[in-house]
Parts: sequence; structure tokens; C-alpha cells
Amino acid sequence: MSSKVTSTDKEQSPESPPSRITSLPDDIIVDIIARVPRGNFPKICLVSKSFRSIIASSGLYKRRSLLGFTEQYCLYAVLYNYDTDEYRSYILRRTVYNSNRLVIIRSFPSMPCSASYLTVGSKIYVVDSSSFLSIDCRTHMVQPITQIPKPMSDKVSGIDGNIYLIGNRLVSRNMWKWNRVVMVLKTQTMIMPDLELYTICSDAVVMEDKIYMRDSENSFVYRPKEIKWERGDMLNSRDWNHWCAVGEWERDDMLNSRDWNHACAVGDLLCYYDVSEKMLRAYDTKERCWRVVNGLEKSLPRPSTLWCNMVSYDGKLAMFFHKYIYNKVRDDLISIWCAEIALERRQGGEIWGTVLWYDAVIEGSFAMVKCLAVPVG
Amino acid sequence: MSKSEKKIVLKSLDNEAFEVEKAVALQSQTIWVMCEDKCVGNEIPLENVTGQILAKVIDYCKKHAVVDGDGDESSEELKNWDTEFTKNMDQSTLFNMILAANYLNIKSLLNLTCQAVADKTKTIDEFHTFLNIENNFTPEEEAQICQENLWAFDD
Repeated sequence: MSSKVTSTDKEQSPESPPSRITSLPDDIIVDIIARVPRGNFPKICLVSKSFRSIIASSGLYKRRSLLGFTEQYCLYAVLYNYDTDEYRSYILRRTVYNSNRLVIIRSFPSMPCSASYLTVGSKIYVVDSSSFLSIDCRTHMVQPITQIPKPMSDKVSGIDGNIYLIGNRLVSRNMWKWNRVVMVLKTQTMIMPDLELYTICSDAVVMEDKIYMRDSENSFVYRPKEIKWERGDMLNSRDWNHWCAVGEWERDDMLNSRDWNHACAVGDLLCYYDVSEKMLRAYDTKERCWRVVNGLEKSLPRPSTLWCNMVSYDGKLAMFFHKYIYNKVRDDLISIWCAEIALERRQGGEIWGTVLWYDAVIEGSFAMVKCLAVPVG
Repeated sequence: MSKSEKKIVLKSLDNEAFEVEKAVALQSQTIWVMCEDKCVGNEIPLENVTGQILAKVIDYCKKHAVVDGDGDESSEELKNWDTEFTKNMDQSTLFNMILAANYLNIKSLLNLTCQAVADKTKTIDEFHTFLNIENNFTPEEEAQICQENLWAFDD
């Protein structure tokens, strides 16, 4: 005889209320995940396949922005390790106690030695003479892009989601001229701007709709205006279309009066760290003058550094510099420091900086190649 | 308007009846639409919500209803009340509150309960039990994701 109790209205026990639905609708799951601290996303990817795909979806980040969460930025760095002879990617892991550290991302491949890096949206593009990678920083998925031509490049910049490669490319076999090669990623085409460079572009910074760049002698401002199809044999293209960017070039002598390098844009300021005089300088692109960023002398440790990489995000800038570590056996050990600095413009155009935090973020035998700030939603 | 017109009866899945002020019940867009359509009488059957959960939903709606001359609760006080409201809810209650808020279409309650789940759920296991989700990764896939996200885990 069966011991099964016939079903009645009173069957359910109080602790398990009757519910016909055992799972939440997808849009509610999205809503819940959107409210989880952003830093936990890499962990909760492991909950289930649907969780993982939600975390990779743009809908989640739209929801987060609707809920009023401010965009979070992740700081990435590419370091060359002298011991392993490798270029590896690191991410700045922020901790509650502010002992921020650079942590290696082992799932990223070694980067090519002469690669250029660019962020567009939540992606990092890595370009070198033989490869083109895209890295989605929300999911850390790495994908090769195969349809892109392979220019020799040394700087990449982004305007309106386009990628401009301001590289050096041989355009005429007879003349060995260097030319700036600009590429639009959206349409996967190449662009040749209407100015030729005879030397190597040494830095380029995008601000608003212009590219500020310099070679070994001059500083230029370039404003791309329109993109024209051009079918010339100069490029000797095989499997890709090329386009001509028509824009305005302008030499900027005031900008050129300082030996700026590793610069970054904060609002309408182009900032770089003057390693010889150990001060942060900013080029005011509106007023066309150089200014010193005040207020940092006492709050920032003095770098023993010949280089200083900077990246800006959210109106702030992160500055990476190094100090030597004393060691009896080895003299090549350094600690890389990072400082986050907020900039403020005061009356009369003075610029003041506030150090929000600084930390020694990694130690070893490194050289810093690149730092990037990526908005991850 | 007679007194009876200002009241409405909500009937739960397990046949529990609750008489509430219309202003209280109409915070639910679902009930509002039902009343607008006049497709129901004074008694509204809610087939997806149990009495236990409905009682809590009504508590919430009563607190948040702006009844004549009675809606002067400060937002600070309401916020504290909301926090207390979800603080001691167990997993299954919270889960069913979300479902009820979704079905009844009460935006603010849905926001509150989703936020409570996001706040209370910390570990991967908690997500599994809280949201009734199964881990459907193969061990190999899991190892792969762990490897990809290794940097995010504590040393």
C-alpha cells in the first residue's frame, strides 16, 4: 500500500511556501548582478554559464549605468621582465586597505615587443608588425583579428571609436620615406593622412577631436576631418582597401617647447612628468601654454626614475614610476610605484594636483612598457 | 465614494484573503491594470503569490502608500524601515518576494529585494542556493575560467 499522502491545500510545510516558479527571470538576474560590486564580477563568472554570459553582455552595463553606478576603470600595465625576457600584462588589483598591487594576468599571452596598445570602449587593441589582438576587459577574452593589414606601427590613438595608427610605414621603396599610417578599425581600412613624416613619431595623445603628436623634432596637432577613398598604387595594397584621411596639420611651437613624452590627456590638459626636473607639467591646449601642476612636491615620493608612464581616466591620472631597490647581489631590481592624482583648475588657470593614494605595486626586474585605463562598466 | 469602494480584497494562491485600502494595493501596477480593466470585482485573485508572501508585500505597500494626510514619512525613515524589512528575511522568502514584486509589478519593492540579494550574496555557493541556480560548467570549463580570472582571487 502506498504511503503517499493525497495532495491537499494544506500539504505544504510553513518553511517551504508553495511556489510554482523555481527560477528567476533573466532580466531579474541581470538586475541582481548589476547591483553586485563590480570587483566581484570575475569571481561570480563561475556561478553558471548564464551568469558568465550576462557578465559579458552589454545589457548588464547599461543596467548598471541606469542604476546610477559610476563607470569603473581597470588599470592595466604591460611590463617587460628582464629575467624571463617576456612582455606580460598585469592588472591593478585594488584592495580595501589600499595596498594596491599589480597582479599578472596569466591567461593573456606574452605581448609582442614593439606592440602598440589602444583602448576603445572596454577593449584593448594590441598591434604589432605581425599580429593584431583584441582583448575584452570585461571578460578577459583574447581574440586575434585577422582581416587587418599589418602595418609597422608605434602609436595608436582613438577618436570616435576609430583607431588611428600613427605608425611608420615604408611608402616608397626609392625614397624610404616614413609616413603616418592611420587606420580606421570600424571599417577595417587603412588611411593615409596628407602629411608625411620623415622621422619616427615618438608620442601621440588624443584630446577631443585632435591628435597631439610629436616626432624627434616637432610637435603637431592633427584634426582628421574626412575620410576619402583613394586607389593609389603607392600603398601597393594586396588584400585591403585604403583610404585617405583629409585633415588639418598644424605645428605647435609652444607645445614643442618642452620635451614631452609618455603624456596623457586629462580634460583639455596634456600632462607629462618632467623626469629631469621632477615635476608634473600640463599643456593647456585652450590657452596654449605650459603650466606646472602645483601641490605635489610634498605629497608624492620622489621617483628615482628616468621614465614615468601616465594614464588618465575619470578626470584623474595614474602615474607609474620606479625606485631602485638596494640589493647586494643584484642592481637591477626596482619597485614600481603608482600614484593616483586628481587635478583641479583654479582661478587664473593654475592647476593643482591632489594625490589620492600611492603604493609600491610590484617589485622585480622590470621595465614598464605601457599602462592603460579601461572603462569596464 | 463609499467606504467599501475604497477597500479591495486580495486573494492569495492558497486562498488567504486580505482586505486593504485601494491606495495601498494600487502601488502594484498589475493590480492597477486589473482594476482599470474592471475585469475583476472587488476581489482580486493573485495566483502567483502565497498568503505568507502577500502579507509581507502588503506590509511594504502600507508603509509606502501615500494615504491622505498620512504620507509625510521622511525618506530617511522609509529607508531605515526598508533596511529592517529585508534584513532578516531568509533566502526563500527573499526569493519569493522578488517573484511577487515582479509579478505584481511594484518597481520599488523589486529594486529593494534585488538589492538585498546582491548585498547578502557573497560567495559562489550562496548564489547557487539563493537564486536556485545550478553550476552547469564542466570541471574543465571551471578550471579554465579560474585560470582566466586567477588575478581576481586572493593569494
